[in-house]
Amino acid sequence: MDGHGIYVWLAVSVSLVVLAWLVVAPLLSRRALLKDIARDILRERARQSTATHNQGEI
Amino acid sequence: MSWQWFHRLGSPRWFYQTSTRWLPLLALIAAAVLITGLVWGLAVAPEDAKQGNSFRIIYIHVPASFLALAGYYIMAIAGAVGLIWKMKLSFMVMKSAAPIGAALTFIALFTGAIWGKPTWGTYWVWDARITSMLILLFLYLGVMALQYAYHSGDAASKAGAILALVGTVNIPIIYKSVDWWYTLHQPATIKFTSAPSMHIDMFLPLLVMIVGFYLFYAVALILHTRSEILRRERKTAWVRELVEPRAGV
Repeated sequence: MDGHGIYVWLAVSVSLVVLAWLVVAPLLSRRALLKDIARDILRERARQSTATHNQGEI
Repeated sequence: MSWQWFHRLGSPRWFYQTSTRWLPLLALIAAAVLITGLVWGLAVAPEDAKQGNSFRIIYIHVPASFLALAGYYIMAIAGAVGLIWKMKLSFMVMKSAAPIGAALTFIALFTGAIWGKPTWGTYWVWDARITSMLILLFLYLGVMALQYAYHSGDAASKAGAILALVGTVNIPIIYKSVDWWYTLHQPATIKFTSAPSMHIDMFLPLLVMIVGFYLFYAVALILHTRSEILRRERKTAWVRELVEPRAGV
């Protein structure tokens, strides 16, 4: 080789990291969103059950 | 009747459900093509007579540049469709295309800079193509920034779409810069009207990498759009079904 290998590997590895991030970031955000939405549903169900519970007492 | 398919295309739910089915296969094909192209270009293709091995950066640099330009058109067209037909999904695609395009433009500039050092003796020069690519990066960042500048998501999308459309003038400038101006960056290797100005053994892996990057772009765009759909449609019944399928219904 002619000593230019370092340039190639530097360029390729930085590019691969950026490309990997472009795929990993949305996958992570999707998982976080689904968890968040599940929490919303649980919260709403808890609110509804306390509401009907309070109504029952009256 | 004939517009039904077009309007169905505008349904975030349809997009999400269809992409759930096809994304794994698309991702597999993209990975296979990219790995093939990379191994071919980095290991198998012959050394360049003048540049030695540093020319191999071309196998990332050129496909990234192609997609930075094509991706800008995709973002601008998505913006236009959103403005004209008031299609929410189109704006979601536009918003997703911005960071992907910015990343690809960065890769093009970065790999170009690394390549420039052994080839031209410098990491940076304000030549026509490199400068207009830098402007492209600023346009992408501008569209991304506009999304946060407005309270109303609608206004943000419209502003972003207008910036994207105004910026499309930059693409032909980037493309023709090497023909119009006396500039350092070399002229096009791949031409529509004549044979490529590089040896076929070097050219074939380049084609494979270009196809691989297009496929990768599609995967990335679909992934980002899916997240955006979940974000904006989180209150709808179908999204809640995804999280908690109702039992006994």
